[in-house]
Amino acid sequence: MNADEVRESLAYAQYARNRARQDVGRPWIALLLLASLSAVSLSLTDAATSLTSLLWAFAGPLGAGAIAIYAYRRNRSSGIESSPLAYVAITLGLLTLAYTAGKIGAVFQVAAVARFGPAFIVAAGYLAVAWIERSWIVAAIAAALLAVAVAIIGFDLTSPQSKALVFGLYGITLLAVGLGLRVGRKLL
Amino acid sequence: MTHPSSTLDDTIHQRVRLGILAVLSESRRADFGYLQEVLEVTAGNLSQHLTILEEAGHIQIAKAFEDKRSRTWITITRRGRAALASEVATMRTLLDGISAQRT
Repeated sequence: MNADEVRESLAYAQYARNRARQDVGRPWIALLLLASLSAVSLSLTDAATSLTSLLWAFAGPLGAGAIAIYAYRRNRSSGIESSPLAYVAITLGLLTLAYTAGKIGAVFQVAAVARFGPAFIVAAGYLAVAWIERSWIVAAIAAALLAVAVAIIGFDLTSPQSKALVFGLYGITLLAVGLGLRVGRKLL
Repeated sequence: MTHPSSTLDDTIHQRVRLGILAVLSESRRADFGYLQEVLEVTAGNLSQHLTILEEAGHIQIAKAFEDKRSRTWITITRRGRAALASEVATMRTLLDGISAQRT
């Protein structure tokens, strides 16, 4: 056995691994993004008192549920299935952390933590997932979320302006996720 | 002192079988058709490799009848995961050794 054979074997294993990761990973990343962004959107608003908040409180989980069912069916028909447990755990963890950060900021009246803590926590979570999944889309959304948070702080934007930015990002993410799933479906 | 290549597992150290384990290590399970498409092998060839891996305890094969058609699902075992990790680590060690000799 020579070095070229070893290199070729390793490259082949890496190709197979990447292909499987690509085919299996994307839908659950979408689920994670939707659920987490819902939490951020919700935590940046006055929950329970605003109709917009209530809309996102239902629309977020509904969107995530729809994506989950779609992803499950798509995976089954494509012939490769992932275990959603890790992603569900990450999503729940991010939701809890984002919500807790918002609440702590509100209780102790630390405006910066209440408004930007959730966004930073979710962005950090996305960056970790982006690294694990080697996903440029997730990394780009993490960077966008951080940029939005920094813009809100730097320009001292009003609450409606902040909401518009975050909801705008949420909309762009929905589009990216939808397009990603559509492209992925065509490739399979 | 033994040469690193002596620790290579003959069951796995074959291109297609390495590819099968690599795909399965990234998923909960994969079906026969998916493996055939990704690894670009014939059904007979893939079937032979799967039998070897199953006999070695690296994978589990389950047949199911879904949507009026028969499907064969393949899952990697813990032993298979460990064997793949060990094989990849050994190959990297070999490459490092070769690179060190050249420099």
